[in-house]
Amino acid sequence: MKKSNRNLTLFILPALLFYAIFTLAPAFGGIWYSFTNWNGLNPNYELIGFRNFEMLLKDKNFINSIWFTVKFVGIMVVLQNVIALGLAVLIETRLKTKTLFRTLVFMPNMISMIIGGFMWMFIFTRALPMIAKMLNMAALDISWIGDPTFSFIAIIIVSLWGGVGYLMIIYMAALQGVAKNLKEAAMIDGANAWQVFKNITIPSIMPAITIGVFVTLNNSFKVFDVVYSLTGGGPGRSTQVIAMNIFEEAYSLNNRFGYASAKSLILFIIILVITLIQLSIMRKREIH
Amino acid sequence: MKKLILLLTVSLMLVLSMVGCAKPADDEPEKVTLKVFMTFPRFQDQFEAYFEQFKAKMLAEKNIDVTIDLEMPTSDQAMQILKTRLSTNDAPDVFTLHAIADIPDFYEAGYLSDLSGEPFVGELLENVKDIVTYDGKVVALPLESLAWGYLYNKDIFAKYDLDAPQTITEMLNVVKVLKENGETPFLLAFQESWIPQLMTALAIGGVVTSENPDFVDKMNAGEASYEEIAKIFDIIDIIMANGTDKPFEVGNAAASADFAAGKAAMWVQGTWQAQAILDINPNINIGAAPLPVSDNINGTLINLSVSTSLAVSPTSKNKEVALALVNYVLDKQASSALFEELKFNPVAKFHTYETFPWSDEAMSYVALGRGYRDLSLPGAVTGEQAKLLQSYYAKTVTKAEFIQTIDEVWANSLGQ
Repeated sequence: MKKSNRNLTLFILPALLFYAIFTLAPAFGGIWYSFTNWNGLNPNYELIGFRNFEMLLKDKNFINSIWFTVKFVGIMVVLQNVIALGLAVLIETRLKTKTLFRTLVFMPNMISMIIGGFMWMFIFTRALPMIAKMLNMAALDISWIGDPTFSFIAIIIVSLWGGVGYLMIIYMAALQGVAKNLKEAAMIDGANAWQVFKNITIPSIMPAITIGVFVTLNNSFKVFDVVYSLTGGGPGRSTQVIAMNIFEEAYSLNNRFGYASAKSLILFIIILVITLIQLSIMRKREIH
Repeated sequence: MKKLILLLTVSLMLVLSMVGCAKPADDEPEKVTLKVFMTFPRFQDQFEAYFEQFKAKMLAEKNIDVTIDLEMPTSDQAMQILKTRLSTNDAPDVFTLHAIADIPDFYEAGYLSDLSGEPFVGELLENVKDIVTYDGKVVALPLESLAWGYLYNKDIFAKYDLDAPQTITEMLNVVKVLKENGETPFLLAFQESWIPQLMTALAIGGVVTSENPDFVDKMNAGEASYEEIAKIFDIIDIIMANGTDKPFEVGNAAASADFAAGKAAMWVQGTWQAQAILDINPNINIGAAPLPVSDNINGTLINLSVSTSLAVSPTSKNKEVALALVNYVLDKQASSALFEELKFNPVAKFHTYETFPWSDEAMSYVALGRGYRDLSLPGAVTGEQAKLLQSYYAKTVTKAEFIQTIDEVWANSLGQ
């Protein structure tokens, strides 16, 4: 037993080493910097204790970006999982066109979201107004990027487009693992399709749902590339997410690296707490 | 296999013996490697050619064989790379930086050499020299200098017999005439926030220089408020009310194409963009004029600024050669051709090459005393203004909130 443990450790050592050097070490470095007033340039900086964190409490832009992100996460977790599950169920029932649809829905996941963002930018700013003109549909001809309300919808649309495919694959795999005999037994007992889905399928794929919610929670909190390429956080800061606020703090406005590190630490803690709660709740509901 | 090892050993020994022989005899040139870091990937060929001339000169005059390690990252990554190099004691011998935005921080961190005693300093134009002077010392060599206001389409102006307006009343009149004839007065491109920020840059420059000259000092002392220069919104409101639609969907490139196509008569954008517009439509006549901020003509000013400048690291091991290189960039004989080829404005007295019509037009105002030195606002304030202008246009921020926020940001930037 002990020997096999050692062997296993040896196998993961290379990966662990890279993880430690390129992820863990900078992460701890970041925690250290969050207690300093380093500006990313000057070799001299001071430890300033918790002053960065005190400043955070009064930082309107940071707090706004947290609320915006929470709003985004809430909508994404629900919509992305519901749509992915819906698509999975739908495509799973296709016999001949299954592969085709699966590929089509999964495709956006394979291109970088930065590029996806720019593509949608073109759709929102050039293609949609054109279509609106041709079809005489004034409702489409709105300032998708320039109006804070619509730019939020635009971000949601693009994020769903990019993220649904990946979750759908997870759900499809889970659906294939649902025991057929249970379903058949239920149907013989007179359950309709919805009842089978609700009482057999959903409980059986609970582990997949845990993963799905976990993945969307995590990724939506860290969202950056879609917003960056689509609206740049604008107009003004009306669509600024936390990751962008941190980026702006560190690289484009003040160069306050220490302060930006403190913000990242807060983001890390938020994600950690929420996912811990989510995991503990959802694990309990899984069938083992 | 054995043969291969033998071959490798022999070739290694050969190389080693050659290195051993390379000890400099008396007339052998001294070997020096310079690391040069520049943010001009678009000018790589020109600089490489120019540095070849420098190498030849050093070899001929000082018997030094210079190797130049030229690194040219794109400008959006350059800052991060440069800062990493500097903070890990791996400083390039010579590097570029932004005169107004970067010099204060870099100087305070001790990354800039004092160049005041260098020969090129005496040749600099006065208004350019001011900008690269910090703490009483010349700390960088100016490369790209700018004289800019807003751009206007001379063809449209000529069509309706208009001149570049010099006061806000004249501006209103120009706007009225243009609109009566179905032209859009202003091009708005707000997708990239630095473009709307140019409006505040010019408006604040005009108001502060003509009416409130010690405003920046007062702000730095915490004794003033943007309330004092709330007048800047007069012209900003006019521009925003008479501009093209959906500005948040127009980036710099798209706006250049729109301007080249004559979609609007004026664009608050610097002269640096004129060449790109001309590339799209070679027949367009572009003018550059100062932006009026009030009816006081002394506030209608051209912005004089230096962006990319060349600095020498104080930790350079070959400082003599590095300084020689920097001086050679402003060499009396060779540099005019370089600056002309790069389409940079003149920075030294001996630069007498022909410049662009829009540069000439801007400089003609400066000659009349209607230029001002780019104000040195904290970086955070400039960035905040850019964001707030977007919000102001989207009507999510009012004028009062704008003023209040900037006051706070400025105050915060002092505490660092």
